[in-house]
Order: sequence, then structure tokens, then C-alpha cells
Amino acid sequence: MELMEYDDLEALIVRIREISGFDFSGYARPSLLRRASRYLTTHKMDLPQLLLHIEQGGSVVYGLIQELTVNYSEMFRDPDFFRKVKSEVFTYLESYPTLRFWVAGCASGEEAYSLAIFLKEAGFLGRSLVYATDLSNKALTAAREGVFTLGNARTFSENYLAAGGMQSLSDYYHVAYNKAVMLPELRRNIVFSMHDLTGDGAFNEFQFISCRNVMIYFTLELRQKVFRLLYNSLSMLGFLCLGKRETLRYSGLEDHFKVIDSTLNIYQKIK
Amino acid sequence: MSNAGDNGSLSLVLVGGSSGSFAIFEEIVRLVRKPLSFALIFVLHRGKSSTAVLPKLFKNKTDVAMSEPYHLDPIESNSIYFAYPDYHLLIGPDKRFYYDYSDKDFFSRPSIDATFLSAAVSGIPVKAAMLFSGSSADGAFGMKALAEKGFPTYVQNPAEAESPRMPEQALLTYEKHQVMVDGGLFSIINQILQ
Repeated sequence: MELMEYDDLEALIVRIREISGFDFSGYARPSLLRRASRYLTTHKMDLPQLLLHIEQGGSVVYGLIQELTVNYSEMFRDPDFFRKVKSEVFTYLESYPTLRFWVAGCASGEEAYSLAIFLKEAGFLGRSLVYATDLSNKALTAAREGVFTLGNARTFSENYLAAGGMQSLSDYYHVAYNKAVMLPELRRNIVFSMHDLTGDGAFNEFQFISCRNVMIYFTLELRQKVFRLLYNSLSMLGFLCLGKRETLRYSGLEDHFKVIDSTLNIYQKIK
Repeated sequence: MSNAGDNGSLSLVLVGGSSGSFAIFEEIVRLVRKPLSFALIFVLHRGKSSTAVLPKLFKNKTDVAMSEPYHLDPIESNSIYFAYPDYHLLIGPDKRFYYDYSDKDFFSRPSIDATFLSAAVSGIPVKAAMLFSGSSADGAFGMKALAEKGFPTYVQNPAEAESPRMPEQALLTYEKHQVMVDGGLFSIINQILQ
């Protein structure tokens, strides 16, 4: 395994910026260092070789950026979270004539499809729009296709049932070429689009924002900026959901939210 | 990056293990006495659906503060920390914890390598790193990196480990780790923790 030091990482960040314009300076260094080290290991390179390699620009540097930024998710990841969304948040949103949800940093769409399924089961899907955004076009393309490997589908099914799903997850996809293809009717109310949380502004007002395990990749300073964007994108009494090990602490916005669930990190905007 | 709090003298004791290590971890928690002059960080392989909250399980074993830290929490001396299931726990150079949700190492998340490697480059002194029983090769790279930085590294005697592979792999990767052989395991650990 190649062990990179922080100085090496800074040199790499500068070089990537010079070659591609992509700026990693707001990314949390510890996880970026881990990913860059793993890139070297899996591609059997050392840092000088990598720096030389990315001189080619184009798809080479783009591939590196992809690998350094890619996020993983699962459908109904953290079933207890989805259970709580259903029991606490949905009952609250029931009276709204129209609903807007934002899955910020949606990766390949797993969270957006999960939400759509639960909205359908609650009878809300028809009056809901789920905006699912990500920085990566590649991830968004996969998300739009809504195709998952059957191996993953098994895990997703278990999560779905543990989350309190009312049917069988297989009712929401059909199998083709050994893949699970999500039903088009779920897609109808999901808008997948490109959005950079670190640079782009607010684009709508939402009753619910899920941004789970995304901000762990930003520095403390950039994280505060992104928190401000999410806050500005929430309607009053809208819900903000974070990953299990994230908190509102160090966000500068602690006073603006009420804690709905401190373990599952569900908050409600109160001022 | 802004350093977390006034903990300029922070040092770390890192403990990694997998199958066959739980009872050892429990005993280590029982051995430590307040106040600890370091932060004690445990990485134990566990399933993602593991609902066991280690600080609760170990509550009656010690009066030292224990937690599964949150992202960006400052790393404090005189505290015991446990890696949370299904995330990698990283040590930041700003003396804060960072979480990462990238690939598993050796089918494990949390991985011992992730935590140990991040500690090795963090600039924070590591008083000791210990690796115990387990059936994968996780931890070997992290232990080697720590040893090469000049930090004391200890592995359980593979012959005494319930699952010898993990300490064996660490010794194959780097042969100069100290093997905990002379005297009882816990008296050695006790000396390391002093």
C-alpha cells in the first residue's frame, strides 16, 4: 500500500486544479488522502507516476476525479432512519397540498428511489417532486437508468423490509439481464440534475432535504457554507436529514433547528 | 484547518482487532484508570447492522468517558473511543475525528488500516498501537506505517490468538513489531498503557 503524506496530497490538489480546473481545496483532507492512497495502490503507481500520468489530462484526470469523489449508497440505507421518516416526517407533511423533496448528493439514486417508494406507499407520490442532485454526471446517468445489480437488490430488499416497507421491494423493479430495473412510474416524480453543493446556489424551496454522508467530505469551513445553502433551501418547518455520524455541531446554525431525532439526525427548521 | 481545542499534548493509543478480540478489548477497558494521559481508540470489526453500542456494553468496566465519536468531534485525552459500524474512522491532523464511507478494506468497514494509516500521517504522537486476534489481513499496513514512523507497535502472539491470521499478517508485512510474549498478555498491556 502506498502511504501518501499531506504534503503530497496538497501537491496533487494543485496539479489537478491546474490540469482540469477541478478544485479539491474544500475537501476534507483525511478522507481525500485515504482515497488518493487507495487510487495509487489499486493502479499500482507512486505519486510521481500519478503526477506524470495525469499530465495526459482528459479522461485520465477525469477518471481520477471520479474515483476521488464517488459516493456509495444503498436503497433504504439505515432502515431505522426510513422508519422514522415514515412515522414522524410523513405524518407531519400529510396536510401539504404539494411537496418538494431534495436528495442532495444523490450518487446513483438509491436514496431518491427509496424515498419515492415510501412516498408511493404513503399515497403522497402524486403530489410530490423529488429533486435528486449530484456533482457527477456519471452518477446521474446511472441514477436516471435506475438499474442495480441483483446482488445489491437483495441487500436493498432486506433494508426495505426492516424499514417497514409494506410490500416486497421486487414489486418496484423488474429483472432484466440479471439486473434490477426500477419501475418507470417511480421515476416520473424524480428529477435528476447536476448541482454542485459547494458552488451552486439554492434553486428551490423544500419541505424535506436529505443530505446524508455527503458533508463528511468537506472541510469544516466549506461544510458551514453548504449548511447555509441547505438552510436557505428549506421552507420554514422543513426537515433536514444528516448521516448517522454527522451532527449540526460546528455548522453555525444549531439554533435554527429543532432536533426531531438525535440518533438518526433528523432536524426541523424553526427560525 | 482549525485545530480542535487546547489539546497540544494529545497522544494516541490505538487498538485493533477482529474475531477473538472482543474479550481482550473488554479487559483493556477494565484495566485503564482515570485519568488517562492519552486518547484510547478501539477499532473492532463489526457488521454494519451491529446495534451493540460498545460504550454501553462496557459502561460498568471503567469510569473513563467512552463514546462512538461524531464526525469532526475533537479527539480528547482521557477518553476512550470506538469506531462506529459501517464507516471508516479517520484521525485528522487537526486533532478531530473524520468519517469516511469509501470502499471496505479486506471486507471490513470500519477497517483497522484506515484508522491506523490516518494516525500515522496525522502528526499526532502515537504512544502505542496494538493488534490482536482476527481472521483477515487488515491492520498489517497500518501497523507497518506506524512502526516506520518510529511509534511503538505491538502484536498479539499469533500462537495465543484465537484467530492468528491478523497478527501473523502484521508480522509478515513488518517483522520488527514487538510480539507480546513475555508474561501474561494483560500484564504486558498494562505496562504499555502506563
